[in-house]
Amino acid sequence: MDFNFDIIWGYFPLFLRGTLYTIGFSIASIILGSILGLGIGFGRMLKSPLWRWPFDAYVNIFRGTPLYVQILIVHFGVVPFFYGSTNALISGVVALSLNSAAYAGEIFRAGIQSVDSGQREAALSLGMTRGQSMRFVVLPQAIKRMVPAFGNEFIVLVKDSSLLALVAAPEIMYWGNTMKGQYMRIWEPYLTAAVIYFILTYSLNKLLGYIERRM
Amino acid sequence: METRKGTKTRNKWILSALIAILVLAIAGCGSDNANNASSASNAGSTNSGGSAAETVVKFASDASYAPMEYMDKDTIKGFDIDFIAAVMEEAGMKYEVVNTGWDTMLESVKQGTEYQAGLSSVSITDDRQQTYDFSVPYFESTNMIMVKEGSDIKSALDLKDKTVAVQTATTADELMSKIMGVGNTKLKRFDSNTVAMMELDNGGADAVVADIAIVREYIKNNPKMKLVGITDTPNFGSEFYGILYPKGSELKAKLDPAIQKVIENGKYEEIYKKWFGEAPDLTNLKNAQ
Repeated sequence: MDFNFDIIWGYFPLFLRGTLYTIGFSIASIILGSILGLGIGFGRMLKSPLWRWPFDAYVNIFRGTPLYVQILIVHFGVVPFFYGSTNALISGVVALSLNSAAYAGEIFRAGIQSVDSGQREAALSLGMTRGQSMRFVVLPQAIKRMVPAFGNEFIVLVKDSSLLALVAAPEIMYWGNTMKGQYMRIWEPYLTAAVIYFILTYSLNKLLGYIERRM
Repeated sequence: METRKGTKTRNKWILSALIAILVLAIAGCGSDNANNASSASNAGSTNSGGSAAETVVKFASDASYAPMEYMDKDTIKGFDIDFIAAVMEEAGMKYEVVNTGWDTMLESVKQGTEYQAGLSSVSITDDRQQTYDFSVPYFESTNMIMVKEGSDIKSALDLKDKTVAVQTATTADELMSKIMGVGNTKLKRFDSNTVAMMELDNGGADAVVADIAIVREYIKNNPKMKLVGITDTPNFGSEFYGILYPKGSELKAKLDPAIQKVIENGKYEEIYKKWFGEAPDLTNLKNAQ
């Protein structure tokens, strides 16, 4: 196979810079998405359907439509509306966070609901308030169960950030596309990008495994 | 848990190494087999006494480049499509043009098995000639700057410290990379010209650079946006489109004379007028051949 390493070395600094952007997009979106997701998760557990439906709608819309379209809507609709003009960095974080929040919300909800209701009842019968029983009894057990699901979601998020090349956010895939354009070759840029994503997700996987064992 | 930990990590390493090898092996075999297959089919066609009329030449195209090639519902249309029809008639060969998208076109034409050529307004450049063969030039083009009315941009050099949107993999990308620097974040590369033009419309870019035919078509179709096209001959020189062939393709020798014939016998001018409403100036094109 003719695999031209020279053109990869030429783009190496750009791929490196793209990797930093990818990591930045991922970390920002993981944090914002999880915070937002926590609220959505609790919102989905509300008893009254009237209060619950906006959260249900949110999850259904963001899980049920392609991220590709969500990025375009955020970039060309939402961000220009609030910010005045398009900005790939802002739209990248916003689109990924909003998308990730829908999945994180479901992970929170499923994790909390997976804790046997007897646990909560027992805590209440010991005289704990509802808040205390959630904080000291239910959540610690729930969080342990959420870790693998969150790991999965984070890894998907890192790879999904490659779609941001669509709006010219200068992450890994963007430089891959640029390299493809210059040389009209696809294996060098795409396999290089794949290897970088693999290193990122594999390290993340290791980190999560460590956290899981520690809990 | 604890006892398995050691073997588990080792297994993980072995597994990841295996996957890496597998991916490379598949990629390698893929292109090797393809080369063998293409040489085999070439040999086959020469053995059968050059019965060119019976083989169907399949062209791959990225049909998202109106008015050069685009999809009208499920049929492919455009200048290039009419042009190739004239060329293939002249050559007396059967053919088919399929919309495959850019990436698939690049790789499948390189392999040359399913698609024997690419037809997609591909400009002939030195970098690209390292990987592909090109036909004789069949179309003269240049890049054009598109800005909103009242912009202070007058030439390509004014773009140096502006935000510029281009389509990835185009000569506009290449030219602006040279002017602004490949790593310049103010040069925004998009998947398609449509998205680049939306970026201009939404204030995310000061200008779009693209092929003249594309910019003119866009300005014509969006009169409300108040757009202006600027040509800059000194900085954006002429470039020529060619048909894309795999390295060493026999098609080049068969189609080049047909292309020249179509350009000389007036058929080309007729197609050009149909799509661009004016007669072409063929001097540069003929010199380039």
